[in-house]
Amino acid sequence: MNKRIFLDPLFKNNPVSVLVLGICSALAVTVKMEPALVMALSVTLVTGFSGLIMSLFRNTVPNRIRIIVQLIVVATLVIVVDQILKAFAYDVSKQLSVFVGLIITNCIIMGRIEAFALGNKPLPAFMDGIGNGLGYGMILVIVSFFRELLGSGTLLGYRIVPQSWYMGNGGFYENNGLMILPPMALIIVGLIIWIFNAGKEWSK
Amino acid sequence: MEQIINIFVKAVFTENMVFAFFLGMCSYLAVSKTVKTASGLGIAVVFVLVITVPVNYLLYKYILSPGALAWLRPEWAATDLSFLSFIVFIAVIAAIVQLVEMVVEKAAPGLYNNLGIFLPLIAVNCAIMGGSLFMQERAYRNVWEVISYSLGSGIGWFLAIVAIAAIREKLGYSNIPKPLRGLGITFIITGLMGIAFMSFMGIQL
Amino acid sequence: MDNKIRNGNLYTFLYAAAIVIVVAAILALTAQVLRPRQESNVRTETRLYILRSAGLAGGAYTVKDRNAYVEKEYNRYIKDTAVGPDGLPLFVCTLEDGSKKYIIPLHGTGLWGPIWGYLALDNDFETVYGAVFDHKSETPGLGAEISKEPFSEPFRGKSLYKEGEFVSVSVVKGGKAAGNPNAVDGISGGTITSRAVETMIRECVIKYIPFLKHE
Repeated sequence: MNKRIFLDPLFKNNPVSVLVLGICSALAVTVKMEPALVMALSVTLVTGFSGLIMSLFRNTVPNRIRIIVQLIVVATLVIVVDQILKAFAYDVSKQLSVFVGLIITNCIIMGRIEAFALGNKPLPAFMDGIGNGLGYGMILVIVSFFRELLGSGTLLGYRIVPQSWYMGNGGFYENNGLMILPPMALIIVGLIIWIFNAGKEWSK
Repeated sequence: MEQIINIFVKAVFTENMVFAFFLGMCSYLAVSKTVKTASGLGIAVVFVLVITVPVNYLLYKYILSPGALAWLRPEWAATDLSFLSFIVFIAVIAAIVQLVEMVVEKAAPGLYNNLGIFLPLIAVNCAIMGGSLFMQERAYRNVWEVISYSLGSGIGWFLAIVAIAAIREKLGYSNIPKPLRGLGITFIITGLMGIAFMSFMGIQL
Repeated sequence: MDNKIRNGNLYTFLYAAAIVIVVAAILALTAQVLRPRQESNVRTETRLYILRSAGLAGGAYTVKDRNAYVEKEYNRYIKDTAVGPDGLPLFVCTLEDGSKKYIIPLHGTGLWGPIWGYLALDNDFETVYGAVFDHKSETPGLGAEISKEPFSEPFRGKSLYKEGEFVSVSVVKGGKAAGNPNAVDGISGGTITSRAVETMIRECVIKYIPFLKHE
């Protein structure tokens, strides 16, 4: 049972492509793979632990302040993650800048708390949170893979497209500048959704 | 004055919350099926932004930023409460959205019903939180610049959601491949609109 | 839990108060514990810019403990931070051979956000010994290239003066800088950012000129 909770959000109910949650940051931090991975990890941890904590609280939270308590729990977790990043991964935290704070408003987290954690036991809630975080992370990795490879010729900072290929060095290749710019991320996600949906149709 | 207009124009066009920074996408995608609901939500977003961002600016400037408390007591000049920013901002936003909800329910019940769950969801709309976070990052010089920024951002978001709603209404008549319908094509169109908005880059007043 | 108790006012109030206290404690603790490390990171970043402008600290990106490395290099080369005119900061770098270089911090506005840099001058206060630039949000691939070596390297050896007059270093378009001792090439496609760098250098350095000429 737990395994299904965990695997569901990876493809069948992927938070980004199916449930349309968490789009904002999925697009903004995917210029290179490294920030995308850090973001994915952060969101996964925050979603998992906030699901766990809210599930623990679910029978004791007064109804009137339920949403505020959720916001506070998520905000606190995010602040802790942000402080840790600033201390131990300063370069990446600068690249992520405001988008770490925006994890608080990442619809995936609030969405899963309302839809699942508040009605289930702590362990399944935790698994659901982690699963959704990973589903989100997967999309981030795919988008950033293409954007970094085609836009900068590197992956995780390591050069993939040989320098000698570039026109400046007498070659024929140029990085696709459009990939680094925001609109391309939207188009890539659109294409991913197309592929995922077509895949679902095809497997029927 | 010139700077204020500059900030406003930048916020509406070249630094449009939707096309340049992808903020507020969830509600942007979900509420853009008809122009009517889209404009209702858009106006609510403008309203919430124009109130919350300046309030958060003042809070940050006079209480949270490093050394801000010096005006209360000189020996507190060393305190740095900026790590509380996220929580304070979101609390202010949640409170103001609650207020807006109550006002809309009394003043425009039709709109209130149309917007449904999306009105309280403005509280977690990344555009609102993003507005405050960007304000914090950019260190505007005074409250007028901040108001100009928040008004511009709101209007930019409003323009974006109404535009995509108008396009989606017309899309109903197009022949789109099934897997691409709905979400997929909306993303791609938004991306193309983003590219178009980039043509505003470099405008200097 | 019995719903009547759960939705009662007193309970709600106490619950909220408890949450606030716990959260405040967690956050304050985290912030306190991590603060020294965070401040060290920021300090290292600034110091690294200063060192790089004089062509030093090349190993910073490959060593394991960057903070310690930068601290060591900084203490080794930057002997004093003289105070320029009006209290403006000035960094004096003493190299292995005893020669002194003077490093001026720069800050300006690019196309999308702030840009900054450090300019290192020889002890004739006219020749550029090195430069380093960075930005917050310039366009990737265009204005953002100012932080890369191909842009900053050509500043070496350029002169701020032409026939005794202060002209600063210009950033020109179209590759016309070849052979011009007072100009470097701008970034194609990044005209506005390139111009911003030129303005930044001129406006910041000019404040130091009377002071430096006195030395």
